[in-house]
Amino acid sequence: MRSDRSIQTAIGLSLLPWLVLVASLSVTWIVWDHERQSARNALHSQFDFALKETVSRVEQRAAAYEQMLRGVQGLLATTDLNNQASIHRYVEALQLDANFSGVKIIGIVQLVPTQDKAAHIAAMRKTGVHTYAIYPESAGPLYAPIVQREPSFASTGTPLGLDVWQDPVRRVALEAARDSGMAAISGKLRLAIDRQADAPPGFAMYLPVFASDKPHDSVAQRRANLIGWVYAAFHVNDFMASLYGKQSPGLSMAIYDGVETSDSALLYRTSDGAVGHTSVRTATWSASEYMVVAGHTWTLSLASLPEFEARAGRDGTSVTAVAGGALSFALAVLVWLMVNGRTRALRLAAAMTEELRDMAQHDPLTSLPNRALFSDRLNQELARAKREGTRFAVIFLDLDEFKPVNDNFGHAIGDQLLQQVALRLQNAIRAVDTVGRIGGDEFVILVAGLGGKDFVLTLTEKINQSLRQIFVVDGHELHISASLGFAVYPEDGSDERTLTRCADGAMYRAKNRGQAGINRASNAPS
Amino acid sequence: MKIRSFVTVMALVGNLCAAQAAAPECSRTYTLALHDHGLLYSAATDSGIDKDVSEELVRRSGCKVTVSLMPRARIWQLIESGALDFSLSGITNPERDKFAAFAWYFSNKYYLLVRKDSGVRNLADFERNDPLKLGTIRSFRYSETANQLVDRLQVSNRVSQGGGLTPLYQALMLNAIQGMIIEPFDFPALEEARIRDITSIVEFNDPPVPHGLIMSKKALTPTEQEHWRALVNAMRADGSLQRIFGKYFKPDLAAALVNFH
Repeated sequence: MRSDRSIQTAIGLSLLPWLVLVASLSVTWIVWDHERQSARNALHSQFDFALKETVSRVEQRAAAYEQMLRGVQGLLATTDLNNQASIHRYVEALQLDANFSGVKIIGIVQLVPTQDKAAHIAAMRKTGVHTYAIYPESAGPLYAPIVQREPSFASTGTPLGLDVWQDPVRRVALEAARDSGMAAISGKLRLAIDRQADAPPGFAMYLPVFASDKPHDSVAQRRANLIGWVYAAFHVNDFMASLYGKQSPGLSMAIYDGVETSDSALLYRTSDGAVGHTSVRTATWSASEYMVVAGHTWTLSLASLPEFEARAGRDGTSVTAVAGGALSFALAVLVWLMVNGRTRALRLAAAMTEELRDMAQHDPLTSLPNRALFSDRLNQELARAKREGTRFAVIFLDLDEFKPVNDNFGHAIGDQLLQQVALRLQNAIRAVDTVGRIGGDEFVILVAGLGGKDFVLTLTEKINQSLRQIFVVDGHELHISASLGFAVYPEDGSDERTLTRCADGAMYRAKNRGQAGINRASNAPS
Repeated sequence: MKIRSFVTVMALVGNLCAAQAAAPECSRTYTLALHDHGLLYSAATDSGIDKDVSEELVRRSGCKVTVSLMPRARIWQLIESGALDFSLSGITNPERDKFAAFAWYFSNKYYLLVRKDSGVRNLADFERNDPLKLGTIRSFRYSETANQLVDRLQVSNRVSQGGGLTPLYQALMLNAIQGMIIEPFDFPALEEARIRDITSIVEFNDPPVPHGLIMSKKALTPTEQEHWRALVNAMRADGSLQRIFGKYFKPDLAAALVNFH
């Protein structure tokens, strides 16, 4: 039972480092996963914030331009639509510096009913525009020609008189501005002032101008009392460059006209050009927002670049993974060392205990059992003999002529001789018997379970014979003999003390009789 | 985007009856913002429920109110800062309660409008199908279940936001989004045959959500808020609100919207 438990404990201890490794790696994974989720949420928040902020910046900028146009609209509430000098001075006074670099043109569109066309052309020519005409040709029923562009140098080479009503894209915005009374921007345009083939995409913002003395509170009133529009024309890239604030780094952006994200609707794309039909899908984060700018829909597509994800602290997750993994392994190794250290210590303690026990029970010179162990075995045999009714004998043996060996050849030779004696004694007895050393040249033998009547006598003679043979120690031939006395249980005694005393006495008597004598205890029947 | 200024002089004594007891003091010019949203207000026609309600409020209060049009997200920002006094058709949540007070005047449910070809039969269908995208209006909140759906989809990057209803309908038609959350005053757009043909409606199992006059807590004292709330309640009580809604809905739907508890 105890052994099973030990095995189980040993198995449990050997598994402990693995359990610790699995547990700590699991904790690392949980922390890493949590960190990853947190980083992802933070990234999402940052991305969403960047999207919201970009939309807001575009809306704010459009509102600023609308406010600028409202100034011109306000001017036209106090002066005539054809007061070109006044409008020119007003736009000059606006000081459209770099902050308004998105604006290419501020202009006036006049609403001209068919019946007023000829008079309108004549009036325009009188102002000095001698070649003025409304183009492209159309049958009406109304015309909306551009009658003034400011600054005039920006439109050199592009004649006045362009009828923007004929362009469906511009017309939608013109109608929206007219009906709502508010600013409206057009769809994607090629600006009329652009002469070059690869002109950048543009758009126009229109504000309606109503007859100053007429109401314009309802759609019907606004349609009836419209006299023209004030407009601003933009290149989208310049418009975007004039936004306040800074675009979050690591984000790619594109703006499309309407809700369709096709190349034909593309208005603007950041220089990295990453936002496109294919790359958006491979970005970690991408989103489109349908912004409404002055009543018109633009789609803003935003996509994250690897730079954005790196900035958002994705490294934190890898640090967690690497540090957690390393710590897990280190912890497992530590536990392994602790567990195995304990096992090794226990094993060492057991070995040392065993060695100590061995030292306590054996003679260090011959390794034969000493008096204590011999006594222990004698008592065990005594108990067994009493229990089973068997017999045994105790033999005491004292070497004769040993002292002269020590005196003549030294203790080293004497010790080697004793070791050889021990070996011969061990060879002489059976495996069940015990031979021990109890003094300098005194030995004892426990002969267990006696067989025949003369077994002990035969054994003692065999021993005596064996010891009379020449010993060769370190090149010296040595001759010794032994005196033996023995006592038999139960005839010579029934306890350890009596038996050993009898055997000892018998040995001394034998010694007194002469060398190599053998004697049995005196109280035994002869 | 200032569109109009109303100066209403309360000259018609007969109209004072219900409102006069709790009429606001008109200590200054107030500001009110509309947002372009279906039947609530259309900038193209400069008309809608919110416009009618605002005109009736202005008329009854006798105060000068500057009315503007701006995106809903901007309206909430300005209400919070106190730069804007009022807006209309607002719904609340704990966050908005911190900076806005409300005077309820109608209540309605929310619906998920989905493309038929998306195969969506219920809310779970929509959520399960990863490629489907939902369109919402930035800063809009809806009923509880609808808000939860939006929040979950937002985390999965499945929400596209718009500045108004019109672009969302356009995106739905182009299949750039497959669903959007609508209210009864967005229904008329469904009457456009093209949208109706390709969409179906899934109902959120939430009770109707009250909508009301939004009042900035920073701009208006609790007493002022009470005065304006009393005006709104008077408009409900005397049937003015139901008449306004009756211009845009069938009588039974108009009654269902404004008669709530």
